[in-house]
Amino acid sequence: MSRKTGRRLFWVVSLAVCLAGFLLSVLTGPVKTSPGDLLRFIQSHDRVQAAIFIDLRLSRAVLAFLVGAALALSGAILQGYFRNPMADPFVVGVSSGASLGAVVAASLGFEAAAFGFSGQGLLAFISGLGIVSLVYVLSLRRGGFKVETILLTGIAAGALASALTSFFLFMRSDSYDQAVFWLLGSFQLAEWQQAATIAPWLVLCFVAAIWLARDMDLLALGDETAQALGCPVRRVRKAFLVMSALLAALSVAVSGVIGFVGLVVPHWVRILIGPGHRALFASSALAGGTFLLYCDLLARNLLAGELPIGVITAAVGAPFFLYLLHKKR
Amino acid sequence: MSAATKKQGEPTRGNKLGDMYRRYVSPSLSPRFPACLLHKRDIHSEKERGHVPEVRQGADSRKRPAELWRSGSKPQFWEISEKNPAMRGGCKNVQQRALVLVALVFLATAMILCVPVLKGSQDLKDDLGRPFPLPERTPERIVSMAPNVTEILFALGLGDRVAGVTRFCDYPPEARSIRRIGGLVDPNIEVIQSLDPGLVIAFRGNPLRLVDRIRKLGLPVFVLDIGQGLENLFPLIAKIGRVTRTEGRAGELIGGLKRRLESVDAAISEVVMRPKVFVLLYGQGLWTCGGESYVDDLISRAGGTNVASSLPKKWVLYKREQILEDDPDVIFILARSRKDFATGRDWLLRKARVESVAAVRSGKVFELDENAASRFGPRLVDVLDRMVRLLHPELFGEKL
Repeated sequence: MSRKTGRRLFWVVSLAVCLAGFLLSVLTGPVKTSPGDLLRFIQSHDRVQAAIFIDLRLSRAVLAFLVGAALALSGAILQGYFRNPMADPFVVGVSSGASLGAVVAASLGFEAAAFGFSGQGLLAFISGLGIVSLVYVLSLRRGGFKVETILLTGIAAGALASALTSFFLFMRSDSYDQAVFWLLGSFQLAEWQQAATIAPWLVLCFVAAIWLARDMDLLALGDETAQALGCPVRRVRKAFLVMSALLAALSVAVSGVIGFVGLVVPHWVRILIGPGHRALFASSALAGGTFLLYCDLLARNLLAGELPIGVITAAVGAPFFLYLLHKKR
Repeated sequence: MSAATKKQGEPTRGNKLGDMYRRYVSPSLSPRFPACLLHKRDIHSEKERGHVPEVRQGADSRKRPAELWRSGSKPQFWEISEKNPAMRGGCKNVQQRALVLVALVFLATAMILCVPVLKGSQDLKDDLGRPFPLPERTPERIVSMAPNVTEILFALGLGDRVAGVTRFCDYPPEARSIRRIGGLVDPNIEVIQSLDPGLVIAFRGNPLRLVDRIRKLGLPVFVLDIGQGLENLFPLIAKIGRVTRTEGRAGELIGGLKRRLESVDAAISEVVMRPKVFVLLYGQGLWTCGGESYVDDLISRAGGTNVASSLPKKWVLYKREQILEDDPDVIFILARSRKDFATGRDWLLRKARVESVAAVRSGKVFELDENAASRFGPRLVDVLDRMVRLLHPELFGEKL
């Protein structure tokens, strides 16, 4: 099987699986509905069913897909950026920064809402981006721009933010229950407005990433080589860092911290279609969205209650990651 | 400009009007009268009531009226100037005009202030300050998002109207057979929607984002706040009564509870000695109730003193040395069952090693029903009764 047919097969299969996921998401839930109900609903409008099918289930599926795509794309970008298979969207501190923001918002009772984001989401977005900027500025100051410095600064800043998060959680123990769903991620409160807010940014970053994919391929050869081959290394690096941080912060603001999607999905795709970044970015987004769609399906239907989606992604993602590591050695 | 600068130099009659203003208006109002209409606190209270008065302000509105009168270059009808044709009639005319002006200002203020008051009397507001349209009749299907709300709904005789409850709603036992919507922080919105309720009663313990999400589906959500003391229970019941249109029954319920509370107060008023009380929440560690908790209020109403009363929190992780130092006379253990109580007591004695305190030595370690005490509902009065009996058995000994 040539690489081209392999890729085509991958696209066809992922698209089919993705569409099936959407259909399943609309059809399953704690309220029992059959395909017949859906057909009847399409023919004659019913208020309660409209709310369940369109407002609750479809909006949730779309949001899960968008967030999954954003996280996987962000992860694919950062793995190329750091030339490190361990990189994921949260390595530069977005997740810990955003969690800190969310917990602070919850314990201060900050409840203003805008653009479909809650007060928590808004503060999470701001503090997530804030910590990335901080990490970037700090690593710039320390003798030029080095990938390792960013990585280490990100980890340190993340640890600091996690400590503060735990402190706030401890001080306001009554907000703990709410915070758990934030810290492990959930699409429980998905609504169309959130999807509409993140979709344009996702599309923008996606197009930009595809456009700059060639430069990312060059970066894989090393900065000096890439520079010699005519790639404006610093500008490209800056653009990619901004894109990945924006994508990660947006998804955290909408759904809380969802781990492992950004780490695992690009690896999975790389095995199937090879390391060329243009195809990798596009198919990571599709595969990541589909993966999270199915994870959310499980989170909703596995137990009587709602499971935080981070539990599912980690439960599926971690064994896979271990297998991957094992196979490499 | 010319008018303004001239006036500073010569003592014109403009100051006379200023004096008049000060004599007639400022004793009752602040000199910054227009600004005081937009006082920060006023705006807040208007916002809370969901109504912001529209007070249009010009660029000059920040200035004091006296300055305002001087500021224009073209003489206005009320301006004191030789150029002003209105002044030629003499000073009396000015006085009349000023009085009319003051009267108008008063009238306008009264109208602005009246509008929200009138509106507020028609609409019900929930505890988030959001207006809630009162239903005409008792809604057919009510979803309760908290155990204490369920309890109050049942106490109001609305048990058959309750269509959905949380998984924690286990009192009264009938509530257990009602469709579960999930937990306090993770209720399933889809299930709530499928019940197509005419009223959803949420609690401040439910995440606000979730409440908003349900509201956005077009369901009528009424949000209630928890109180710090037992007296907040009555407005809570009254509000639930209003929103379910069972005002009469709510009134009876409140009346009965108030009478019981009064009899407790009467009995306690003779008490001189207030025993020190430590409350243990059965579970992990020495969790107790702080001064902001309603359990603290229950203890003081029952004629005791909570040792953790000075801590400004609802629930506090207490220190072991602190208990030894406080030396409580009575220990209450909040437990769900006899078995939990026994384990909790054993844990307190063996692991926490507080056997030297007075309560343990005199054997005054008692069980309190956690199920009743942890819900801000009518059963708190039962808990209060039990506390009084345990803290002051002498009162009942005399009576019997």
